[in-house]
Amino acid sequence: MEKFVQKTFPHGVHFHDNKELSKEQAIEVMPLASDVFISVSQHIGAPSTPIVKAGDQVVKGQLIADAVGGLGSKVYASVCGEVVGIVKKVGAAGGMADHIHIKTSEQQDQVISLPALETKDKESVLNRIFEAGIVGMGGAGFPTNVKLKPAKPVDTLIINGAECEPYITCDYRLMLEKANEVIAGAKYLAMACGIEKVVFGIEANKMDCAQLFADLGADVVVLKKKYPQGAEKDLIVAVNGRRVPCGGLPMDVGVVVQNIATAYAAYEAVELDKPCYERLMTVSGRAINSTKNIIVANGTRYSDIIEYCGGLKDDVCKLISGGPMMGFAVVDTSISTTKTTGSLLALTAKETNLDKPTNCINCGRCAKACPMSLMPMYMDFYTLAGDYDTAVKYGVMNCFECGSCAYVCPARRQIVQSVRLCKKKLRERKK
Amino acid sequence: MSKLVFSSSPHLKAPKTTKSIMLDVSIALLPATIVGIIFFGFNALLVMAISVVSAIVAELLYKMLVNKASFKQFWNEFDYTTLVTGLLIGMNMPPLVDWYIPIIASFFAIIIVKMIFGGTGKNIVNPAIAGRIFVFISFGIVAAGGFVDPIVTASASGQGTFMSPIVAGSTPLGDILKNGLSATGATNMDMFLGLVPGTIGETSAVALIVGGIYLVARGVIDWKWPVIYIGVTGLFTVVLNGFNFAWFLPSILSGGLMLGAIFMATDYTTTPNTQLGNVVYFVALGLITATLRHNNGTEVVSFAILLMNLVVPLIDKYIVPKPFGYKKPAKKEGK
Repeated sequence: MEKFVQKTFPHGVHFHDNKELSKEQAIEVMPLASDVFISVSQHIGAPSTPIVKAGDQVVKGQLIADAVGGLGSKVYASVCGEVVGIVKKVGAAGGMADHIHIKTSEQQDQVISLPALETKDKESVLNRIFEAGIVGMGGAGFPTNVKLKPAKPVDTLIINGAECEPYITCDYRLMLEKANEVIAGAKYLAMACGIEKVVFGIEANKMDCAQLFADLGADVVVLKKKYPQGAEKDLIVAVNGRRVPCGGLPMDVGVVVQNIATAYAAYEAVELDKPCYERLMTVSGRAINSTKNIIVANGTRYSDIIEYCGGLKDDVCKLISGGPMMGFAVVDTSISTTKTTGSLLALTAKETNLDKPTNCINCGRCAKACPMSLMPMYMDFYTLAGDYDTAVKYGVMNCFECGSCAYVCPARRQIVQSVRLCKKKLRERKK
Repeated sequence: MSKLVFSSSPHLKAPKTTKSIMLDVSIALLPATIVGIIFFGFNALLVMAISVVSAIVAELLYKMLVNKASFKQFWNEFDYTTLVTGLLIGMNMPPLVDWYIPIIASFFAIIIVKMIFGGTGKNIVNPAIAGRIFVFISFGIVAAGGFVDPIVTASASGQGTFMSPIVAGSTPLGDILKNGLSATGATNMDMFLGLVPGTIGETSAVALIVGGIYLVARGVIDWKWPVIYIGVTGLFTVVLNGFNFAWFLPSILSGGLMLGAIFMATDYTTTPNTQLGNVVYFVALGLITATLRHNNGTEVVSFAILLMNLVVPLIDKYIVPKPFGYKKPAKKEGK
């Protein structure tokens, strides 16, 4: 065993990661559901334009919605079947979006691949990542091809294997079971970006992965188990000590960060010519009957996933799309998965937070936890008092809503909610 | 599926709540409370009981009369802060104090200092300290007495009875501040164990330190702050007395320093929110305590804390950490 030095960032919070619930579940493929609802808005840019209409027969891997604008992304069919229509539905993040409803047919043996790449160089790989519709699969949904063309010179690609959100284990399983593929995918990402240096940042609760990657010759940095270790700025400062300036991007310090799942998707797109239409996700929590790490077709409804995982227990309290620290609570199980859905968690009342906020007691725990060294207690106080300018002075615009402050708060102040409110009010004022 | 709950992230919470923290503080006060009862007898128990009950009654009355809350609402919102305040007031009373004084102190602390400002977390000074100072000034307890020798009279050093060398009823700190180190017969060990006159809860340094260690172990307070306060007070006393290190132990073991430093100065609400702010706050507390003790010849810990409490908003206004990745904006050319 090699000795790894654990690196980290200032502040942050420690908690039990609950990963043991689903850590041992090997990757399995979930059978296709009878219907899928594929969103045309799975990424951060303008919604894609559907190029199929009701009654069309589609094949798995077929392009069904084309990219629009500079931050657009392509969407592919995840099943063979018939397009029923285009419906407006609520997405996981709460907004309304068009969804392409496809009825799955009996025959699933047909698959369309992208044309094989003749040469694998910077341009062709970058173009392939765009063609395959790959977006940041850690949750942000930023089109990967745009991120790989930074406006400033970069020298390092950091692959984010921190997976610092509790419960989630899909990146862990991917690293463990598809190590070679992830490393190859990372190399393609670096190639597309025109850089040599690839570093894997892996949190210390996944030492087996770190060891495996180091044995395979990858450059590994072991990160201390602490939340939010996987946040871009905190990851970069831990890996190579560079501090992304306030309001800046990783490219300002010469770094590009990509997620493990994105690297794997890049491998699939370049080597296997497979566009992005399914992904690995974790289903976990103490209120689901069987926890799993499953490959799910894009557009599968949560209700189908829950059914496949043995259903919800009676004491279910919250259903969360994404991680428990930054994910969205959902009350409607007809919401369907997207390229960025990394997990679905069913939490019991005991696991989650239902407490009513009480008076702030000025304990300063939030300021001690804040990975951005902000003053969350004042951000909360001044936002609720309607004084948004003072709230900004204490750091609202530097806050990326990791939730560390609200997690540690003994008075259960809803600090993140206040920050979101303040940002919304400021956006409204600009209009 | 209607039972699914919708809310904003984060969906997890740390185990600690205001209530659990205040319960921890109450538990940490137990050793000193018990030692106080053993050393000063049934009367000490009575004084503390009166303080606690009247503090809780004061809060109940305020909530019922002003907030129009029902008893059930009061009970649901009850977060033990009032219990801690009441207990601290009791511990700050001389053992033979008249029964109505702790009641007045508790009512003043809870209603005037805490509830009128908005309840838990909104008070600008520590309620227990304000209550103590209010009655000490109004009723002159210090001058009038009420201090007695502990009923446990065997000296810790085992040499004869403890009562004989000192003037009954005066605290060792008062003696040494007025007449120098040799004026008191109490040894450092006596003061460490609490075999000296004083208020009910302040005399036994060891019991208070045990409580402090519990608080640090439970993550309620940071060990640095009481250590800085006590250390600076001790060292600055040494400096003020011409680098006479014999002053160090008596100055930190006597009077209300231990109680004040561990339980009252560390009160969340009335301390700065930042690490650097806390360093400034506790160092200043130590300097003020040592200086005022030296110049006035009386115990001043509670006055020092009250004074610094009022400076906290100023500290918090000027000591704000720079955000991660902050760069000083480049100075603009011209003008």
